Order: sequence, then structure tokens, then C-alpha cells
Amino acid sequence: MNTTITETDGKYTVTLEGELDTAYALEFDEAMKPLRELADKEVVIDCTNLEYIASSGLRILLGLLKSVKAKGNKVVMRNLNDEVFEVFRITGFIDLFDIE
Amino acid sequence: MNKSQNSRWKALGAKTSVAILITAALLMMMLSAVQSYFARQQICANLELNTEKELVIKTQKIKYSLESVESALQNHLYDIEQSLPYPDSLFSVTRRIVEQNPNFDGCCIAMIPDYYPEKGRLFQPCSYRNGQTIDTYMYDVEKYDYTQIDYFYFAVDNDTAYWSEPYRDPDDSLVTLVTYNFPVHDQNNRVVAILGVDINTEWLGYVLNSHDQYLSSYELLLSGKGRLICGPDAADVKHQEVKEMVEMINDTTLERSLSQSGRCTILTFIDKEDGEKGYVFYKTSHLIAPWQIAIICYDDEVFAPLKKMRRRNILLTLLGMLILSFIIMRSARSIYKLRDANAEKERIDSELMIAKNIQMNMLPKTYPPFPDRNDLDIYGSLVPAKMVGGDLYDFFIRDEKLYFCIGDVSGKSVPAALVMAVTHSLFLSISSHESNPARIMQSINESLCHSNESNMFVTFFIGVLDLPTGIMRYCNAGHNPPLIVKGDSVEFLPAKANLPMGVIDDKDYLLQQETVEPETMIVLYTDGLTEAKNMKRKQFGVERTFKDVKECHDATAKQLIESITKKVNAFVGEAEPSDDLTLLAIRYTPKEESWTLSRSITLENDVSQVTELNRFVQSVTEELQLGKPLPKQIKLAVEEVVVNIMEYAYMPDTKGIVKVEALANDKLLRFILTDSGRPFDPTSISRADTTLTVEDRPIGGLGILLVRNLMDSINYERANGQNILRIEKKI
Repeated sequence: MNTTITETDGKYTVTLEGELDTAYALEFDEAMKPLRELADKEVVIDCTNLEYIASSGLRILLGLLKSVKAKGNKVVMRNLNDEVFEVFRITGFIDLFDIE
Repeated sequence: MNKSQNSRWKALGAKTSVAILITAALLMMMLSAVQSYFARQQICANLELNTEKELVIKTQKIKYSLESVESALQNHLYDIEQSLPYPDSLFSVTRRIVEQNPNFDGCCIAMIPDYYPEKGRLFQPCSYRNGQTIDTYMYDVEKYDYTQIDYFYFAVDNDTAYWSEPYRDPDDSLVTLVTYNFPVHDQNNRVVAILGVDINTEWLGYVLNSHDQYLSSYELLLSGKGRLICGPDAADVKHQEVKEMVEMINDTTLERSLSQSGRCTILTFIDKEDGEKGYVFYKTSHLIAPWQIAIICYDDEVFAPLKKMRRRNILLTLLGMLILSFIIMRSARSIYKLRDANAEKERIDSELMIAKNIQMNMLPKTYPPFPDRNDLDIYGSLVPAKMVGGDLYDFFIRDEKLYFCIGDVSGKSVPAALVMAVTHSLFLSISSHESNPARIMQSINESLCHSNESNMFVTFFIGVLDLPTGIMRYCNAGHNPPLIVKGDSVEFLPAKANLPMGVIDDKDYLLQQETVEPETMIVLYTDGLTEAKNMKRKQFGVERTFKDVKECHDATAKQLIESITKKVNAFVGEAEPSDDLTLLAIRYTPKEESWTLSRSITLENDVSQVTELNRFVQSVTEELQLGKPLPKQIKLAVEEVVVNIMEYAYMPDTKGIVKVEALANDKLLRFILTDSGRPFDPTSISRADTTLTVEDRPIGGLGILLVRNLMDSINYERANGQNILRIEKKI
């Protein structure tokens, strides 16, 4: 599992690759911490290569969304695969995030 | 019933009332007319009869009066005969006669011609009243030759007394006189003179008209030739009218022969003045030298009783109509009331029917309720004693646990049904997230006590049967203990009675537990079964229940309940059902699954172990060759439950293990997760609300939501100090 954060065009882009399971959640939470604290720009989460996400990962995304939204910015989920999209659907996260 | 219908009804009612009134009025009028007709006939008959009697009486009276004149004259006859030789003394005789008879206006003795040659051819001494005095003188025979008067010779020749026709008093035109002519004999019994006595008929008029039958009637006395002799006082009846009557009588008298005399003749006439109908009754009587007496009377008075009766009838009719209309109004009103009451009753009945449908729809109604399960055989029935009842039962499966309940609300009908509905919905809502029957009972009890103004209570039994293990937890609140049918043995489930719900709100309900062995039948019932009464007020009783249940010990749930219902009905017979009859039978028939795959892994309670877990799950799904999206869904579900256990079953920083067992065959994949941590039931975690906004969205609750969505079933059971969680997916 890999998490890359880049900053382009006034946006943060988080690229997720692999399986975001609970074992990785702690690390992912750490990775997202600076973004949560800054939250000064729009965040795009590129899920093109995200194969799996557990609820622990969703919780971190929700924490990020809360911080970013509080500062008037948005979090865009990009390129969700079917399985991840289904998880977003079940949890109602598709209504919370901007899905691209 | 809407307004227009109502007014139409009223209009119809009014029409009917009017029709009844008119019919009654017509009937009464007809009755009155018939009565009047017959009364009139009777009066007519009576009139003729009475008037004839009256005529007889009047005739008698006149006869007596005339006889009194005659007898008075008889007294003087001797005097006259003695005085015959002395013509001059006859003057004083006449004077005496007048003096002694106040009714006599005058009297004269007309001697036959040449009886006293010395006195000339004619001699007629006479005395006449002249006011208070009596004048006695020699009648002016030169002027009035009495022999020229026909009745003189008639009396002389026939030697008979007779009454002259009436005539006017030459001195007073208002006075009518009749003269009674009486022959006077000498010693040789030869008629030598006629004694004439002038009688003022006014006197006879009085006699005749005294004591009349009717006030307005009057009598007339007519001579044989039809001349008026006397009549009523001129003050009472007009002269003209009397004259007309006389003419009328004379006109008809001419038409009939004399042979008819003695019979009463009736004439009717119409009064010229007021158009009133009158009657003249008259008859000729030989008793009073052929004179006629006529009685004139008027309709007005003759039929006065009839008129009075008619007036009374009209008054009575009016009064009757008034009473009748009053009665009709009153009865119409009571009919309306009755109709309204009926309509109201119908409305209530139909509403009760609807209520019954609603109530019945609350209960399970399709059997078998779980057609795709083979571990349960359930059948229930509720027969309300009234249209709606206070009994209830229900069951459902949540997370592989069968929740079932049976209850009986004190009282019957609508209030009981309402409490029953409340209890039922509380049971459903609370047990949707609570699996502990005692806690479900406590929560329902609290809610019931809070709003229990009517002091109704509910006996209730809640059971939660864990289907994978057969562990049954239950709680009883004053309800009849269920029966446990194992083989052919029937016994009570050991259930502490506890207090019914709705009595004390902080009541602790005891949680009890039993393991239900396969093929065991649980029979739940209300006291409508054991206390069903027959005509002799005898109860169906527990013994009979045990016996009947035992007979059906190997029957299906449906057969058992139908058989018991039949027996209770036969027992009750014609008696009014005293209570609702509710029965619920559950047979637990778990089936052992055979597995083609069985693997397990034991993990420490550390989330870093998830990688290993995921590898394990992946190897299982790969071995089963599951296609997309199952492998990821199953992996996620297992990860979620395991993480849940790791995080919540063990206190932070305490070591523990989680055993994950995978079992599969060609239909089903089951994971059993066992840990020795504190009791932790993930299935009791309430569902995350996925409709909340970002700000309100809690961080937790997502894992179990995913598990429920991704897997086909989840089941938790605590046994032997371990938490056992099963999740299954059909493959």
C-alpha cells in the first residue's frame, strides 16, 4: 500500500495504491495528518489504483473531509473502482464526498 | 351518513307523518259522519215520537181547558133554566156567568125566536167585560140578527154544543174569540135558547204554549176550517209567521181527506228569514171538536244535541289529531334516534372490523413464515373473543436469532387492543437492536408504565432462540409458562412468573436461559386456552392442555395448533367465548451442515495481524474459486468483524487471541470468530445513519454496517465464557 501526496494547480492530490486495510490504517492516518491540519486547499484523492478499503480507512477519509470542509474546501474522490464504490455506497460516503 | 341522505330521510319521515295524520283525520271524519248520520236518524225518529206525544199531551190540555168551560157552564145551566120564566132575570144570570168565570169575555143567551112574545121576536140578554167592569144589556138584535148565524140553528136543531169558528173581537181587533154554543132546554127538554160564551183564546194560547219541548217551538190551535184560534204570545212569534204557518197547514189540509184526521202530519219548510229548516207537526183531534193542534219546531233546536255532538266530535278529532301528531313526532324522533343509533353501531362495527383487520395484520399471517429455512417449524393463531382482542403474539428472525413473544392484555375489546398494539410495536422496535429478552421486557415495561393511565397490565413472554446453538434466553412477565415438548414428554418451561408489565416501572425482570435440544417444540398460549369455559362454567384446564399437547407431540406446529383449537372449540361448545385464544408453536429443527472446507487461523488482538487475516481469507476464497465481487466483499467483512473484536472485546493493552474458523461447502461460506474477551455483541451496535451530514456523521459504526450489507447473516452468541460470532455468505 502506497500513499503519495502532491500539490499541483492549487490542489493537493493524494494518490492511493494497493489495499487500504486496517493494518495500514495507522500509517495512512499519519500520512493524512498534515492535510487535515492544513486543509487550505481542495483535496483530490486519486483512487485509480486503490483496490480495497476497510472501514478504518473510511474513518480517516471522513476525518480528513471534516477538517477540509470546515475550512470551506472540498475532497474529491477520483476513479473509484467498483468494489470501493460499493463500499462508499453502502456507507453513504458517496453523498459526503465529491465523486469524480 | 351524509347530510343530504339525512334530510331525505327526514323529508320521507315528514311525508309519512303527514300521510298518517291525513289518513287518521279522514278516518275520524268518516266515523264522525257515520255517527252523525245515525244520530240524526235517531233524533228524527225521536222527534216524531216525542212530537206525537207532545201533540197528545197538548190535546189533552186543551181538552181539559175546554171541559172546564163546559163544566162551568153546566153549573150555570140550572140557573138559566130556573130563570127562563123570567126573561129579565136572565140579564143578571149572564152577568153572574161572566163574573164567576174570568176566562169568559162575555156571554149571551139567544132565545129561539118568539119565545118571549112580549119581548119581541128575538131576545138576547148579554153581559160583556169592558175593562174592569161588566156591561149587561140587551143585545142589539135589530142590528145583529143571531138567527142569521148558521151555527145558531145548527146548535138548536142538533141539540148539541159546539165551538164557533174563531173571530175577531169587534171591540178589540187584537183579540180572537171563540164562542162556545151550548143549547138550553126547557122543562120539556126542548131547546129554547143557545147559551153563547165568548172566550178569549189568548188564554188557550197560554195553555197550549206552556212547557214546550223546544225553546223555539210553538203550538197553534186551528179550527176545523183551518182558522187560527190561538197561538203563541205575539211577543214570542211574529204574527206574520203564524199566518204563514196557518196558510201552509191549510194548503196541505186541502190535499188530504178527512179520513186521515187523527194521524199526525209532518210538513217541512224553510224559514224565509234565516233559511232555517223547520217542521210542522199537526193533527186533527175529535177530542176537541174537530180542531187541529200544530207544533212548529226548528232544525236548529231539534238537532241541537247533534250539533253539540258534532262540535264535541270536531273538538275531540282536533285533540286526537294533536295527540296523534305528537305521538308521531315522538315516535319519528325515536325512530330517527334508533336509526342514528343503528347507523352509529354499524359505523362502530365497521370500524371495529377495520381495527380487527389492522390488528390481525400486525400478527404474522403467512405460514410457513421462513420458507427458505429448514431449522424452524412455526405456526401461530389468534382468535379474538370480541371483534378485537387484547392478545398478541409475534416472531421474527434477526441475526440468526428467533425473537418470539406472546402476551395478554388485561381486559378485552378496544382498550385492550390499543394496549396490545402499543406493546407489540414496542416489542418490535426494542428488539430490533436489543437481544436480551429481560432488557427488552424492562424497556417495554418502562414505556407502558409511563403512559398507563388506565392501569391496564400485560402478561408477556419473550423468548430469543439462538438458531445456531439452540440457546434460548427468555423472560416472563406474569404470563403462562410455555410448554416444552420433547419426545412425548410435556413440561412447563421453568419460567419465573415475575410481575406483569405496566405495574411497576422499575421492575427488574429475570433473564432465564435454557438450551433447546433439536426437535423440541415450544408451545406458547394465553389463558384463553387453559381458562376456556364451557356451558357449565368449567375450565379447559392445564391437565387437558397437557394431554392434548402430548397427543400431538410429533405433529407439525400447524397440526398441533389446529388440533388444540378444535378441541377447545368442542369443549366450549355453545358457550360465549370468554377470552381470546392465542397459540404459538415453535419446533426447533437445526440441521447439521456438512463442510467441504474447514480451515482456521488464530490471531492476536493486534490490528497489524489483519494482513495475515486478509491473506488467510484470500486463500479461502481462492480455494473456493469465488468470482468477483465476492472475494473482496468477504475479505472486507471478515476484516471488519475481526478488527471489531480486537478493538472492543479486549481491554486496551491486554493480550488476547481471536480464532477465525472458515467453513464452506458448495452453497455456504461461514466464518466463526471466537474470542475470550468480555461479552461483546457487535450485532447490537445500532446501524450507522448514512443520511447524516459530514459534521454530524460519527466516525464509528461503519464496520458492522458493511458486514451486514456484504454478508447474508451475522449471529452472535456468548457461550462458555466466549464470544462466538458467525457470519455467513451464500456462495
